[in-house]
Amino acid sequence: MAAARRLKRVAVSQPGFLTLKPSLDPSDLVSGRRKRVNKNKKKNWNKHSDINDVEEFLEDVRHQERTTGGLLSEKSDDSLFFLDVGQPKKAEQKAEESVEGKKRKGKASRPLRIDLILQHDSLVPPAKDVLSYQQPNAKKLRRIAQKAEQLAAKGVVPRRQRQLLNRRPVDRTAKKSATEANNNPDREYYDMWGQESKESADPWYLQQTGKRQVKRPEKLNEKPSVLPAVEVIAPGGSYNPDFLSHQALLQEAHDVEVKKQKQEEKLERQLAFNKEDKATEETVLREQVEGLVEEENEDEEAAADDEEEDVAVGAIALSEKKTERQRKRERAEKIKEQQRLADRKQTDQQQQLFQLRSIKASIRQREQKTKSNQIKRKAKQEAQKSQPRRLGKLKFQPQDLEVQLSNELAGSLRRLKPEGSILKDRFKSLQKRNLIEPRDRAKFKRRLKVKYVEKRAFKEIT
Amino acid sequence: MGGLQKKKFERGAATNYITRNRARKKLMLSLPDFRRLCILKGIYPHEPKHKKKVNKGSTAPRTFYLMKDIRFLLHEPIVGKFREYKIFVRKLKKAYGKTEWSTVERLRENKPTYKLDHIIKERYPSFIDALRDIDDALCMCFLFSTFARTGKCHVQTIQLCRRLTVEWMNYVIASRSLRKVFISIKGIYYQAEVMGQLITWLVPYQFSHDHPTDVDYRVMATFTEFYTTLLGFVNFRLYHSLNLLYPPKVCRAPKLIPGLQSILLFLIEQKLSALSASLARVVSSAEEEEAELDQFPEDMEKMEAREKEQKQQEAQRKMFQGLKFFLNREVPRESLAFVIRCFGGEVSWDKSICIGSTYDVTDETITHHIVDRPNIDKQYINRYYIQPQWVYDCVNAKILLPVEDYFIGVTLPPHLSPFVEEKEGDYVPPEKLKIMALQRGENPGVNEEEEEDEEEEEDDNADEEEDDEEEEEEEAEEKNLKEMEDQRSQGKSLQVKVTPGKVKVENPARLEQEEKAEEKRLAIMMMKKKEKYLYDKIMFGKKRKVREANKLAAKRKAHDDAEKAKKKKARK
Repeated sequence: MAAARRLKRVAVSQPGFLTLKPSLDPSDLVSGRRKRVNKNKKKNWNKHSDINDVEEFLEDVRHQERTTGGLLSEKSDDSLFFLDVGQPKKAEQKAEESVEGKKRKGKASRPLRIDLILQHDSLVPPAKDVLSYQQPNAKKLRRIAQKAEQLAAKGVVPRRQRQLLNRRPVDRTAKKSATEANNNPDREYYDMWGQESKESADPWYLQQTGKRQVKRPEKLNEKPSVLPAVEVIAPGGSYNPDFLSHQALLQEAHDVEVKKQKQEEKLERQLAFNKEDKATEETVLREQVEGLVEEENEDEEAAADDEEEDVAVGAIALSEKKTERQRKRERAEKIKEQQRLADRKQTDQQQQLFQLRSIKASIRQREQKTKSNQIKRKAKQEAQKSQPRRLGKLKFQPQDLEVQLSNELAGSLRRLKPEGSILKDRFKSLQKRNLIEPRDRAKFKRRLKVKYVEKRAFKEIT
Repeated sequence: MGGLQKKKFERGAATNYITRNRARKKLMLSLPDFRRLCILKGIYPHEPKHKKKVNKGSTAPRTFYLMKDIRFLLHEPIVGKFREYKIFVRKLKKAYGKTEWSTVERLRENKPTYKLDHIIKERYPSFIDALRDIDDALCMCFLFSTFARTGKCHVQTIQLCRRLTVEWMNYVIASRSLRKVFISIKGIYYQAEVMGQLITWLVPYQFSHDHPTDVDYRVMATFTEFYTTLLGFVNFRLYHSLNLLYPPKVCRAPKLIPGLQSILLFLIEQKLSALSASLARVVSSAEEEEAELDQFPEDMEKMEAREKEQKQQEAQRKMFQGLKFFLNREVPRESLAFVIRCFGGEVSWDKSICIGSTYDVTDETITHHIVDRPNIDKQYINRYYIQPQWVYDCVNAKILLPVEDYFIGVTLPPHLSPFVEEKEGDYVPPEKLKIMALQRGENPGVNEEEEEDEEEEEDDNADEEEDDEEEEEEEAEEKNLKEMEDQRSQGKSLQVKVTPGKVKVENPARLEQEEKAEEKRLAIMMMKKKEKYLYDKIMFGKKRKVREANKLAAKRKAHDDAEKAKKKKARK
């Protein structure tokens, strides 16, 4: 019996179970016996009083409002009922026609299902959000606006606006000039040295924000070489030179060339190997039979080794201990020697008194020598100033002299063939004046090996 | 033994220098950027006295900079710009890689740029400083302006260089400050005197470029970038010192029509570069105020000398005034137009060569027609047909040389370098001696030779002519000898006659000279042994120089004789 009852309870508690009696609550059914509680406490009112009927009623009202827009009981009968007279025939026919004739139009006029789903289906209008209609600080703002109106009527301009008015107009051209490249052919110049630079802002501010120009040290304005910027070619370099000056220039170029050749020859000489060191048939043969034939030599070598060993042993054995007497004698000799040297020194010094003249002469001589050395050194330093310094890995290589041989000289300006490149000349001049260091062109280094593969199409042809 | 142990390379020379790589790292720049920065700021590498000390014991060759210089570089605002540019390039590369063209365009629009104005001001605090360093700038700009637009450097740079050089040449014309010209096998050297500074520059011949591979174009471009800015500011200042408008305008500028403005501007630029028109001035009255020399009361003689010099210079500046030149099409137009205009001449050329020709070949008032070909078909009778070297030689000689040596087809006299200053006792080539004689205003010996030349040209029958000439020469010599003898005999007049006693006119100048010579002799006698030795040495050196010069002269004479003989043989 009890088992059958439990089964029933389980079935009732399942969702989707329809009760026979609408008033009957499944919970009532479950709790078979009513619980007894005191109702003198507010807590128990809430907990144990049955408010389902009220809630059901309210739910029903809400449902009616949602679906019909008000209580059904308050609606007029006309709005609730209509007289069913069957379907009108004509309308049906028309509808068919329209379907046949304007199929597309009908389809287009019908709203999409997705729109229908998204439509607001309740007839109760959504509640208004009060906050959205309210303005924060409305009162204050209103007051401010009123005050501003009053001031405007009086003709007083507020501070904010005054500041805006006072501000200098923005320089539109400033931006344009900022983006202008440095080598723009139409760029503008101004009088740079005319007016003294005006320090517009506070010097302290400029210094602290790092906007002030740092003063250039005077020493940087010195030139690193005393050579002139443009060295004019010797008179022999004229396009129509005087005979002798041309010869002089040729001689100079010739000397340079000879010097170069000599250096080259020297290098070759140094690198050349001795002709006697060349491999002959005999030496080749000897090399090939090395270690196979020679036996007599080994014995000799071994003998030599023995001798050497004897000598070495003897050297070690020689160092013997000195006797006491020997030590004493040595010490005495040493002291005696020292005494002798001291005496000698003293006599020498005494003798120097009589050599004063010659000493003076020698001092004068030495002074003269130092003076001449000083002069020489100074002259050398002066000469060094015009010399290119060693500023990097490479030494400065002077340019080849530009020279035209006597038969290359053009008789007229029209037939003149320019010699040498001025670009190179300028570049070398910069190097010579120590403005830039002599440098090789950076060699291109390939990081990965190149792999050559013949394409198949190409292979077929060849 | 107290205190800490001294470590090596923590004081002294090692701390005063910094290697290039360390400096680069300190500035956080790449090597090309670092190099560019150093060039722009004028900071150059330095060779230390004791390399081993500086290089921390190693003797490997390295590039060193002074530590203080690098510290100075740290304050440069351009360093920031370089970094910005690096980022810009990176962004641009990325955008290209992603083919985002709109981004590329936007980035391009906002390309970071920098100005060098503040560096110029910093490196050249006064205008004269800038002017002293303008030689390099001029050379570089003239060089770059002749480059072909082949991508070796930026086209805009070439254009800017061209503009600046044209402006400079126009200034030199307007101020008449050119002094020397030398046509060498390399290029043309000019020297001008601007505000008391001698400025030399070298202009390459047109179309003479082969691009050498061992030149670092990036370095050269950086130098040029700096120098264009410098030259622009210097030009501005120079133009304003002459009351000229800057940017320069031609006097008779056509009226501007709004639609064609850009074309007209281009035309004006072309006209400027033609160098044939004078420039517009700020004050329209074009009267030149002659700068009056300030009168100093102290030294009258010096004053007079100076005034004389001034006058001479003034005359020299107007050397070509009133002469009308016409350039044939084979001569270097720009150089000649520049030189002629610098000395007040008028110049024109064929219309088809260049814009800005002012008159035609047929103009009857042309005085000199410059030709560089062996002969010309149609010759006008009232003008000289001369070779271009005449113009340059005139400039160097500071006078108008006789035109006869420079006619068409004549073998030209050598073009001497005006940059050689002969000292006393040096060898002076005979051509120069001739010019110097002309400058002094005497031309007896020269005339004869010229006449010879003329005669040679006129007559085809050379043999007889030359024989005649030789005879003439001999005759002339004989005549001279006779005259001298006569004079001598007159001096030694041995006629026995009593004449009223004449007061012996004592030549005060000669007396003075004698006195001086006597004094000198005495002074030499009174010299100490040491001084005497030195004096003898100096005199010996002088004598040696003279001897050498004589030797050279003899050599030259021998050469000339040989040439003459050869010529004769060839003719026979």
